[in-house]
Amino acid sequence: MTIETSQLEKAVLLKVSGRMDAENSHEFEQACEQWITRGSKHLIVDLGGLQYVSSMGLRSFLSVAQKLQSSSGSLILCDLNGLPRQVFELTRLIGVFPVFDTAQQALATL
Amino acid sequence: MDSAARRLTLPANVESVASFRDFVRSGAVAAEVPADELEKLDLVLEEILMNIARYAYVPQSGKAEVAFAPDGPGKLQVEITDWGNAFNPLDVEPPDFSRGLAERPIGGLGVFLVRSLVSDIAYRREADRNILSFGFPAPGGFSAPAGLPGSGA
Repeated sequence: MTIETSQLEKAVLLKVSGRMDAENSHEFEQACEQWITRGSKHLIVDLGGLQYVSSMGLRSFLSVAQKLQSSSGSLILCDLNGLPRQVFELTRLIGVFPVFDTAQQALATL
Repeated sequence: MDSAARRLTLPANVESVASFRDFVRSGAVAAEVPADELEKLDLVLEEILMNIARYAYVPQSGKAEVAFAPDGPGKLQVEITDWGNAFNPLDVEPPDFSRGLAERPIGGLGVFLVRSLVSDIAYRREADRNILSFGFPAPGGFSAPAGLPGSGA
């Protein structure tokens, strides 16, 4: 898994690629928590390059989103495809997180 | 599972998951399981083996065994064994999908995913062993388990 981060005016954009599993999902969680600690309210996660996510990854998404919500922020997902999209749909997390086709569409809502 | 099955036994920990995954993948490819199903097979194995790694032997550690055999064209029969505390994952309540983000419980999704991706899943306790067996892939692909939310039942 690789995570590329860029700080935008209204949000932080994290591009996550590869496989998010039991071995590495904590790295995603830590990357997000660093931005939350620095005061970032909105994290947009671009999942266009994500090939695989297990329930350990889902736990990380939920944990980060719950922390952001408690500080009036939000975790926004975009470009969710393939098996990861099926996993989010089946576990009804599509309805829990805002999901957009592109990061631009997500940014426009902030 | 018959004696023709291939078996691999390793310590039940997160580091073993990749070895188990590669082991079963090789059998899935040989059995001509469709390529687009292979990552779902990875997911099933990770979920089951991580449950064993995290809970079966607490506070000690132990081992897990994965066995598989071809089961007709494009299909595998898989059996996963541990020697830990008696635990039937099929007794785990499905996640409460009605809750919003703040109240959504963080656990419980793994077993739900497994049940969605396999066929004929069954648990049995034999002597000191937990044995979980299933067929892969599920007929009709990716769907909610019968009787659970999302299955239309």
